[in-house]
Amino acid sequence: MRLVRAALALGVMGLLSQPARASDDDARAWLERMSEALATRNYVGLFTHTTGRQSETMRIVHRVGRNGSTERLVSLDGSGREIVRTLSEVHVYLPDRGVVLVEPRTDQGSLSKALPAPGPQFDALYEMRISDGNKLLGRKVRVLDIRPRDAQRYGYRLWLDEETAMPLRTVVADGRGRPIELINFTQLDMPRKIDSKEIEAAVDAAGFRWVRSARPPPEPRPMMAGWRPTRLPPGFRLVASRTQVIPGVALPVQHLIFSDGFASISVFIEPGSPSGPAPSQASSVGSAHAFSTLVGGHVVTAVGEVPLETVRDVATSVVPVQIPQPPPGVSR
Amino acid sequence: MTDRIREQMSALLDGELPGDEMGLLVRRLERDEQLRRAFGNYVLAGEALRSPSGPLASARFAAKVSAAIDAGTVEVPQVRPARPAPVRWARPAIATAVAASAAVVAVLLVKPAMQETAVVAGGAVQQAQRALASLPIITESSPTPAHSQRLAGYLMAHSQFAGAIGRRNVWSSVLASDPGITRASYEFAETP
Repeated sequence: MRLVRAALALGVMGLLSQPARASDDDARAWLERMSEALATRNYVGLFTHTTGRQSETMRIVHRVGRNGSTERLVSLDGSGREIVRTLSEVHVYLPDRGVVLVEPRTDQGSLSKALPAPGPQFDALYEMRISDGNKLLGRKVRVLDIRPRDAQRYGYRLWLDEETAMPLRTVVADGRGRPIELINFTQLDMPRKIDSKEIEAAVDAAGFRWVRSARPPPEPRPMMAGWRPTRLPPGFRLVASRTQVIPGVALPVQHLIFSDGFASISVFIEPGSPSGPAPSQASSVGSAHAFSTLVGGHVVTAVGEVPLETVRDVATSVVPVQIPQPPPGVSR
Repeated sequence: MTDRIREQMSALLDGELPGDEMGLLVRRLERDEQLRRAFGNYVLAGEALRSPSGPLASARFAAKVSAAIDAGTVEVPQVRPARPAPVRWARPAIATAVAASAAVVAVLLVKPAMQETAVVAGGAVQQAQRALASLPIITESSPTPAHSQRLAGYLMAHSQFAGAIGRRNVWSSVLASDPGITRASYEFAETP
């Protein structure tokens, strides 16, 4: 826990005052190395996740196989809850409730290719710096600062293993450099092979209720649906839209996904109902925020790992629009 | 639970547990629900003692809550922020994991500005759990079950489009904070 407090303090100091000691090109290269490492490496680790005054210990297993990556995240504090991402689905095990939630895995295919890569446009939104850092877990690290140039998105400070570019510590900070979320690894191994059994949930789900969405969502397509926010932070653009079924929502909803190349915001539009949420509700969990409001008899909710003000501005600016559907095979 | 286990859990939280012992402890935590609960209490108590976020509630207030637990009623803090603030989803993960005695420890985390109270009747343990679940809420009204359930679904859907760092952060928050995923029954097809 001393480490956690120290990391939080470092996050504040670093995001506010870290001097530039290397070029943006170097920083961008480290960001790309990190993204590749997270996607392509096997790793098993323990980390603490701290938000506000709460701290939880988690174990993560990431396995890269012939057909893609799978992942398992389990809480070691009390509940024993787990999330397992298989090649095709995401399973959320809630042993304290005897429930397993199942959602189709949707991060494959065209969307990942549609996300904007860091480049000149990215540089206009974020300032990046790479610098030397002290050792973590016995490894030499480089410290990557990603500082937003406005207050509409968050900043990040990442302690990257010099050899592999794996993030050993991550601090999310608001526009004033105040840390709001910390992930700090206390153990990280990167074995050549991980047994597939390591991805299996430890929870005995016999007798649990398995709750699935009513139907799989269609493949994400970068086309505009019948709704559009009129206010978006600079740099955010629509990267996909789809109609999908959300557990807990009676009717299919429109899901629009916007990204600035690093942060993302989802906008959900669902037909309003008497049991729907009251207008203008704000919620937060970790560094993610959500804001719901009523627009033309529909419940519009913006969700993202951005400040509350940002999701509020986006949600309250959504209006119905008439945009012709692009012909098949044509992406916007 | 042995002193050795306690020492290992403390070292784990401080990042000072040797790798071989860490592996053994983690495997035991994954298998042993009772140990996980003890670990949850340990984290909670450690957080209270270390209090990284602001002033503690008064000892008198904690004593009142303790007495209420003993009497079968618990005083639940009703928060009245000076300006609108986002809803913090409650944490049944803690609520279901800790014993009534831990409620007093958790109440120590409540800031003085959050101490206006209302009495809730009911069984001691259940009410202590409700008190714990209510602590993180920092707005005048809690989200309805339908509202939090909807948001939980949105959060999971959104996380699949986030980057690796963002997804990990969101998932960790979902496991830790339970944004209402289990607060209401689901309406869709179930498989055995």
